[in-house]
Amino acid sequence: MAQGEIVAGFLAPHPPHLVYGENPAQNEPRSQGGWEPLRWAYERARKSLDELKPDVLLVHSPHWMTHVGHHFLGVRNLSGKSVDPIFPNLFRYTFDLTVDVELAEACCAEAAEAGLVTKMMRNPNFRVDYGTITTLHMIRPQWDIPIVGISANNSPYYLNTKEGLGEMDILGKATRRAIEKTGRRAVLLASNTLCHLHFHEEPATPEDMSQEHPQNYDGYKWDMRIIDLLRRGRTREVFDLLPQFIEEAFAEIKSGAFTWMFAAMGYPEIPGELHGYGTVIGTGNAVMEWNLVKAGLTRGGGVLARAG
Amino acid sequence: MTVVAAFLVPGSPLPLLKPENPPWGRIAAGYQRAGRALAQARPDTILLYSTQWLAVLDQLWQARPRVAGLHVDDNWYDYGDLPFDLAIDTELTAGCLAASAAAGISAKAVDYDGFPIDSGTITACRFLNGDGRLPFVLTSNNIYHDWAATERLGALAAGVARSAGRRIAVVGVGGLSGAMFREAIDIRDDRVASSADDRWNRRILELLERGDVAGVKAEAPRFAAEARADMGFKHLAFILGALGGRFYGARIHAYGPVYGSGAAVVEFRL
Repeated sequence: MAQGEIVAGFLAPHPPHLVYGENPAQNEPRSQGGWEPLRWAYERARKSLDELKPDVLLVHSPHWMTHVGHHFLGVRNLSGKSVDPIFPNLFRYTFDLTVDVELAEACCAEAAEAGLVTKMMRNPNFRVDYGTITTLHMIRPQWDIPIVGISANNSPYYLNTKEGLGEMDILGKATRRAIEKTGRRAVLLASNTLCHLHFHEEPATPEDMSQEHPQNYDGYKWDMRIIDLLRRGRTREVFDLLPQFIEEAFAEIKSGAFTWMFAAMGYPEIPGELHGYGTVIGTGNAVMEWNLVKAGLTRGGGVLARAG
Repeated sequence: MTVVAAFLVPGSPLPLLKPENPPWGRIAAGYQRAGRALAQARPDTILLYSTQWLAVLDQLWQARPRVAGLHVDDNWYDYGDLPFDLAIDTELTAGCLAASAAAGISAKAVDYDGFPIDSGTITACRFLNGDGRLPFVLTSNNIYHDWAATERLGALAAGVARSAGRRIAVVGVGGLSGAMFREAIDIRDDRVASSADDRWNRRILELLERGDVAGVKAEAPRFAAEARADMGFKHLAFILGALGGRFYGARIHAYGPVYGSGAAVVEFRL
């Protein structure tokens, strides 16, 4: 078996509003559009994903929060209806997805080997969370690529940001080893919003974009500072700032997906491509790509990692 | 009398999913005794607030006449599924929605097929109303609501019931100390995660048993901070609001651990 590799990572946030705005057949509610700059950002990301031709998409979602360890979807086919508990008026989505169980098991085993508590989710009636589904729908609405779904262990909240993100770093590195050993060509999806400060009331017409703007100016400035650094490839600086960003902008990346993804990629100091930025009910969302193929960081045998 | 019974019960599904495990079986047995007490009080409707039904934008009230389905817990999926079939007292719910708005609390009705009912609500409903005889008013825990706002919600819901001439049982669903074990344990040896948490839980239960409302209200913020009480112990605030801030004591039907966190089944003496 050829050694696998990570070919790209995407920051791929999951506001259900984006699915609502798209009006796919799987989602019950109908909209008049809305959040176009973000939805068009995802269109650009889709084209790039298409060219990458991955075998598998791995997604780490903050809306499958687990207390005892890091969990992995472990049922080959999962289907059902996912209704967002916060925005049930916008997201009632019938999903049907295929899990790359072999890779999920490898990730689970590698992370356990690295000292994390891990577990495979084997219940066929399990309802996949809306964060996972939204990110996957927006990046690949055809649903024709198997996935690995990873829970967000609550350690950054239960312990502290540093310890929690330390676990995500270990999880990311374990994920990379699993990908390499199983020979997969993999794309990573960090399902996270940036500034997570939001409005507390929804407009009567949710897609009325005259009501949409950053909830908090300081939060917006934080988002721009982080995106600017990421666009310039100053990854180390971003991670130095991360605890302060999380604290001051209530950034959702605290839940770990962003750290997991960068750890898996080896924290590459390469410019991220910003496909687009926009707010959703006031929160800051960026769709960004780190294409390791274009950056010359793949060799058909794994990422040339800086931080091994 | 509007409120004919009141209970504080745990939201962890473990006692329902695996009652054969002795520590959780004791909680399940306490739950069953509470269920019998509730039935004897002959309420028309059960008013239930669950810390696990998280709301962010509004105060949400379940308005679908019947909610049924199969839930799988995000954490405890390997212990089985949680089927549910609940009737909703839609008239009382509509009144609560209107009263919330009148009280300046932004509120919304939830009436969607497939809406995820939380594990805490299902666990309490299954233990306290297993035969599905009674309808419910179900409401959420808005994470931005503080103790006072939650107390107001309980009070306004009881006020609506009073106006409608309903006899209600009030149920606050949530845990005591919140620290859980973070690794696999031998569940037969489950215990409260620390002796400090255990002391806090026992202190709070003692205050409830004595009917010391002022004492428990005074201690609640420290309990929340030092013992990571589930959601700031707001489920008690909801109950107190519904009871008009008065009860005369409590019977502890069960107290014990659920994977390290504290859980108690408490029946208030009214």
